Amino acid sequence: MNRREFIKASAGASLYPFLNGCEQQVRWEKDAFIKTKRSRVAILAAEQYGNSLRDTIRRGVEMFRLELSGKRVLLKPNLVEFDPKGVINTHPAVIEAAVDAFKTLGAREVIVAEGPGHRRDNEYLISASGLYDVIKEHRIRYVDLNTDDVRLTRLKSSFTHFQQLYLPETLYNADLLVSMPKLKTHHWAGVTLSLKNMFGVVPGSVYGWPKNALHWAGIVGSILDINSSLPLPRFAIVDGIVGMEGNGPLQGQEKKGGVLVFGGDLVAVDATAARLMKIEPSKVKYIEKAGEFLGNIRREQIDQIGENLEPYQQDFRVIDNFAYLKKLVG
Amino acid sequence: MIDEATKFLLTSQNADGGWGALAGKRSNTEATALALLALLAISKNALEPAMRKAQTWLLKRHNPDGSWPLNDTLTTSSWSTALAIIALNASGDFKEPIVKAGNWALEQEGSKPGILTNLILALTFQKKAVQLNEDLVGWSWTPNSFSWVEPTSYFLLALKKIRRHLAAKSIAERIQQGEMMIYDRMCDNGGWNYGNSSVYGDRLWPYPDITAIALLALQDHQERRENQMSLRALGDMAKYTDSGLALSWITICLSVYDQDSAQLRQRLGERFAKTKFLGETKVIALALLAMNDGPRFFRV
Repeated sequence: MNRREFIKASAGASLYPFLNGCEQQVRWEKDAFIKTKRSRVAILAAEQYGNSLRDTIRRGVEMFRLELSGKRVLLKPNLVEFDPKGVINTHPAVIEAAVDAFKTLGAREVIVAEGPGHRRDNEYLISASGLYDVIKEHRIRYVDLNTDDVRLTRLKSSFTHFQQLYLPETLYNADLLVSMPKLKTHHWAGVTLSLKNMFGVVPGSVYGWPKNALHWAGIVGSILDINSSLPLPRFAIVDGIVGMEGNGPLQGQEKKGGVLVFGGDLVAVDATAARLMKIEPSKVKYIEKAGEFLGNIRREQIDQIGENLEPYQQDFRVIDNFAYLKKLVG
Repeated sequence: MIDEATKFLLTSQNADGGWGALAGKRSNTEATALALLALLAISKNALEPAMRKAQTWLLKRHNPDGSWPLNDTLTTSSWSTALAIIALNASGDFKEPIVKAGNWALEQEGSKPGILTNLILALTFQKKAVQLNEDLVGWSWTPNSFSWVEPTSYFLLALKKIRRHLAAKSIAERIQQGEMMIYDRMCDNGGWNYGNSSVYGDRLWPYPDITAIALLALQDHQERRENQMSLRALGDMAKYTDSGLALSWITICLSVYDQDSAQLRQRLGERFAKTKFLGETKVIALALLAMNDGPRFFRV
């Protein structure tokens, strides 16, 4: 791609969010996506990061009757950065409980993998965040997706100029990818949940830090292109026990949510998690677009199991640019 | 630690002569360049064959345009060219490839946000998120994207190491641009992270590894207020840092700034005993550089 083509592509990506209203072109391979009519999402109460999490997470996974026997499960938490005074990361107790749950339910191997978006210092990140002790205790592998061997993957949608992305080999060698985001607002994307968490699978050694090429190609389009093209089945467990509001994903304030959200349709999971934050999912551009071909976002299409949503809804503040997200539709 | 880490490098060298991010992974330019430097720093005759294989790996992958690829899967030009220049410059008489690479590096520059992007921000009344001078251009991680501190620092180091071989005017201007970009991205109290000092008015914090790398790139301005502030910030961060990557870069940086780093070397050894630096080739190589006479490769 020459400079002129790049500028055109960048301009297109920049404009994309603003052209939604007049966008008619279908940007995904129609045959590649068969959306189910309904999706199940579970909300389970979890007051704190304690021992009871093991039971809660096992119960949450069991609700979906996943076939786990003999499978290699890849847990992808959010370790984009660490702040000792903040709540940026998926809590290690949630990761540990998930390791325990998937092993108990028959997984052959559970690995934790992340391609941190800001830092290249894996040893620091996993030690400071508390993950190192979990990995040691459970004798599991941690894979740095930023420097993993890569394979060229053709994209099944074209919301960016990429057409293809290099993705880590580790994804190709796993049977199930579990997105484990933190429940957070996000200053570029509105919210960051299980779909946005997939930025972390894109290797920094190829695309830079802070996953710069994706930002230049457009965050909304990148989230859609990555999620439409990952080469393995997915599941999501959202750490909403304590979330982040305001200027997330790094500098926002702690906000207690008291929940974990589970589901196999990541779009439906994110729509539900957004509603838990009193954020209208159909106004979050990437969730709205994902709802057209990747999963369900309308409440009447989501079978809510576990706890009811309303008692757990919390008013998560957003930055001024995203004030429009707070006008709930349903 | 030195013996064990050296043994790791020797046993994890791939048959093709390069190193991967971890033992058993495909060879890449970053790990190979740093491992080659680490073996050079140890300076033992017995390491010669491994070093020659590493040099060959690098030379065989030199792109016709002068750049180096990330690895054999991604053969297009990459940021790791800067590390290949530093490694080959240190390891022998490779003037022709490093001059070619230097000239390629001089032509590279990070992109600026387009007029269209700025227009959209203005028309939609969106607040400017970051406080940085977008007109200052350094080097990017990937072609046609924004300038960031770490790749800019690597290229500054590489170009400063080989500047005597390059046309004086073009290199002086390019180096000055890159330095201005790094200074512009400094955090409020000194030090650097990946390249943003604040977002929507909230301050971001510096990272020890990136601060050390940036200070190495700016070592010929030691008296500047920003260098002194950042050196103090690095000293503070060093007290609370125990990762192999950060300790290694801090040790190399402080050595180049002629400051005492004996305690850091001791902590590096203790940390290796505990975590083995997660088996990351890059970190093990950097630790060997820090523990031996490696800082000289980063002196300009």
